[in-house]
Amino acid sequence: MDMSIFSNLALGFGVALTPINLMYCLIGVVLGTLIGVLPGIGPVATIAMLLPVTFSLSPITALIMLAGIYYGAQYGGSTSAILVNLPGESSSVVTCLDGYQMARQGRAGVALATAAMGSFFAGCVATLVVAMFAPPLAEVALKFGPSEYFSLMVLGLVAAVVLAHGSVLKAIAMVILGLLLGLIGTDVNSGVLRFAFGISELADGIGFVTVAMGLFGIAEIITNLEMKEAREVFTNKVTNMFPTKEDFRRMWKPILRGTVLGSALGILPGGGALLASFGAYTLEKKVSKYGHEFGKGAIEGVAAPEAANNAGAQTSFIPLLTLGIPSNAVMALMIGAMMIQGIAPGPQVMTEKPQLFWGMIASMWVGNLMLVILNLPMIGLWIKLLTVPYRILYPSILVFMSIGVYSLSNNPFDVLLMMLFGLLGYAFTKLECEPAPLLLGFILGPLMEENLRRAMLLSRGDPIVFFTKPISAGFLIASIILLVILLLPNIRKKREEAFVEAT
Amino acid sequence: MKRLLVLLALLANVGAASAQAWPSRPIRLICPYPGGPVDLSSRVIAQKLQDALGQPVVVELRPGAGGVIAAEAVAKSAPDGYTLLMGAIATHAINPSLMPNLPYDPIRDFRHVALVVQVPNVLIVNTDLPAKNVGELIALARSKPGKLDFGSGSTGSTGHLAGELFKQMTGTYMVHIPYKASAPAVLDLLSGRLHLMFDNLASSLPNIKAGKVRAMAVTTRKRTDFAPELPTLDESGLKGFDMTTWWGVMAPAKTPNEIVNRLSTEIVKALDSPDTKERMRTMGSDPPSVRTPEAFTAFIESEKALYAKLVKVSGAKPD
Repeated sequence: MDMSIFSNLALGFGVALTPINLMYCLIGVVLGTLIGVLPGIGPVATIAMLLPVTFSLSPITALIMLAGIYYGAQYGGSTSAILVNLPGESSSVVTCLDGYQMARQGRAGVALATAAMGSFFAGCVATLVVAMFAPPLAEVALKFGPSEYFSLMVLGLVAAVVLAHGSVLKAIAMVILGLLLGLIGTDVNSGVLRFAFGISELADGIGFVTVAMGLFGIAEIITNLEMKEAREVFTNKVTNMFPTKEDFRRMWKPILRGTVLGSALGILPGGGALLASFGAYTLEKKVSKYGHEFGKGAIEGVAAPEAANNAGAQTSFIPLLTLGIPSNAVMALMIGAMMIQGIAPGPQVMTEKPQLFWGMIASMWVGNLMLVILNLPMIGLWIKLLTVPYRILYPSILVFMSIGVYSLSNNPFDVLLMMLFGLLGYAFTKLECEPAPLLLGFILGPLMEENLRRAMLLSRGDPIVFFTKPISAGFLIASIILLVILLLPNIRKKREEAFVEAT
Repeated sequence: MKRLLVLLALLANVGAASAQAWPSRPIRLICPYPGGPVDLSSRVIAQKLQDALGQPVVVELRPGAGGVIAAEAVAKSAPDGYTLLMGAIATHAINPSLMPNLPYDPIRDFRHVALVVQVPNVLIVNTDLPAKNVGELIALARSKPGKLDFGSGSTGSTGHLAGELFKQMTGTYMVHIPYKASAPAVLDLLSGRLHLMFDNLASSLPNIKAGKVRAMAVTTRKRTDFAPELPTLDESGLKGFDMTTWWGVMAPAKTPNEIVNRLSTEIVKALDSPDTKERMRTMGSDPPSVRTPEAFTAFIESEKALYAKLVKVSGAKPD
């Protein structure tokens, strides 16, 4: 790891900085930003469509472009989350919570700049982590089996309750509703269809994007239609575009913590990266002295999860490049792209194709730099978007969302489902139930069940494995501690009330 | 003389063109599995067909329900040669036995145009397992019934059914651990939580070459070009063991013969061209043994019969 890291990085930059690779990196990140901003159209569909284009490119150029699309989409996704409350990716759900509130207070520019800078910083750090520690970190990924994943997900679920800023009871109810929705589809163990009602489209469960678009995007539009006069307000009071000194002071620690958490979780291919932004938000809410501002436009609530999701996106390349294990659908596509170029992703890529390995890592840094240079000046343009009258903006958003959701599997059924979740989301707004805990339950539920049952199959039905494996036991203990912290104020309050009544 | 020949050739061409106006508009090739090798090879074939037929051939992804949504859509679309399916072992050989109320008949509702890809699976084991070859593995499994775990990409996948066939032929008992895809199963195999699995050879080769897993045998009847040193299960004592994962182009049942034959000819031609051959090789595909629509139908029928038997013994059927 010592000095060779510099010669390796030099080799990588030598590859990444050739004009052709720079150009395709730029194409990748621009395209990624665009599809990230457009709600619903995700990197999976884009990369799948672009695969034939990459046949004629050299392997490294092709991968640089595809990777650029992937992390470019992460950047773009936060833009639509902040401006119009539309999370296009699971990672930007959390950004909606405070980012959109900041936009409503006229601080959209600040939120966008925070997201861009947080992402850039995290991207740089995570790239270094990949460069320096990829092989040993891959070993960490191997240590995570079904029982470890299950316990990690338990911790995630407990944390989900912290996400809510209203009633804890409602948050728990939403998490459970999310878990129930996650049950729909084919049972992994037996192959039995659950709650599919004979509809083939439900055989693989409900898509995350469909639910998120409905609950956030459509519900937001319906709610806004209700408020006849107040609607135009927040576009008029755009105050400052860039963060003030005070903003910087408040954001740097969350960015640091988000980067560390995101880098760590990104290494786990079984859904770790999904937890990154949720985890970072929860952590910030607990440690920040502005905890009470969360959900009402706290800058920490944008900075930390944005840093975490970008760091996670970078480090999730570790299992791909060192073990050939994809962390998500985009990574699986990249494996396809590598194979068609005659490269089998796996442990040998690093030694047999050092130019490819290091070139790709260097290009990630270059791509992140391009993104921040591209996005900071664009903030002004994005803000202008908010001044578009709603009678034009909303129908366009609806059209884009429908196209995006349709393009997921070229099936009109998903569009109908999105509408249904829109109505449900509107009902939730009326009931003051927040959709974020539901989405986390929806993401984690299936993963938790799958890992629980797999761990039990492997232990032949003995639940003690969750406590005998150190990593798993650690997560479970952490969950219990978190639960106690969560319940303590309530217990204390109850006791105080009881005390008051007694006297 | 030369001029006359050119004229004749031109006339012949015109005649052919008026007799079969197909294709006069873009063709859709529906692919049920986005992202993976099926998607990739669909795009390779689509590009080749487009060059040969002079009309755009667009790959349309229709994922869902293990391929049932795509297969049903094509079975019910107009048999005019403008809607094709990249059908696979799951949609046409395994699902019929696995899924109750399949909304199509894999034989009667389709014309089977051309087999495109046929890839071997390989039996890989964790390097800490004391068994060094198939014989020792069988002995180990016999001595410890119910102690060995084998993973697979899903219940009813070829990896699962290969394991079931292995158990049945050797009279051993091992526990099947299903995953949502084969990659996470490989991760657990690498770390020693699983003992063995039957996985796609092409994606396993890097780990085999790096010594991270031990390969014991391929599941095909004959040895494969990709790893000629690996014995077959058939020669390791499991007589008649023969499984491959495959996919190919299909069309709705009433598609005219001329169109089916033209497509078949063009696809076989494409598969024989050096550049496509190379692309398919990178995906681990040996050149398919089946080269005509009739042979493809017969192949699917025999595969369907094999998996009907296997699904039954495996108890994979969800009912």
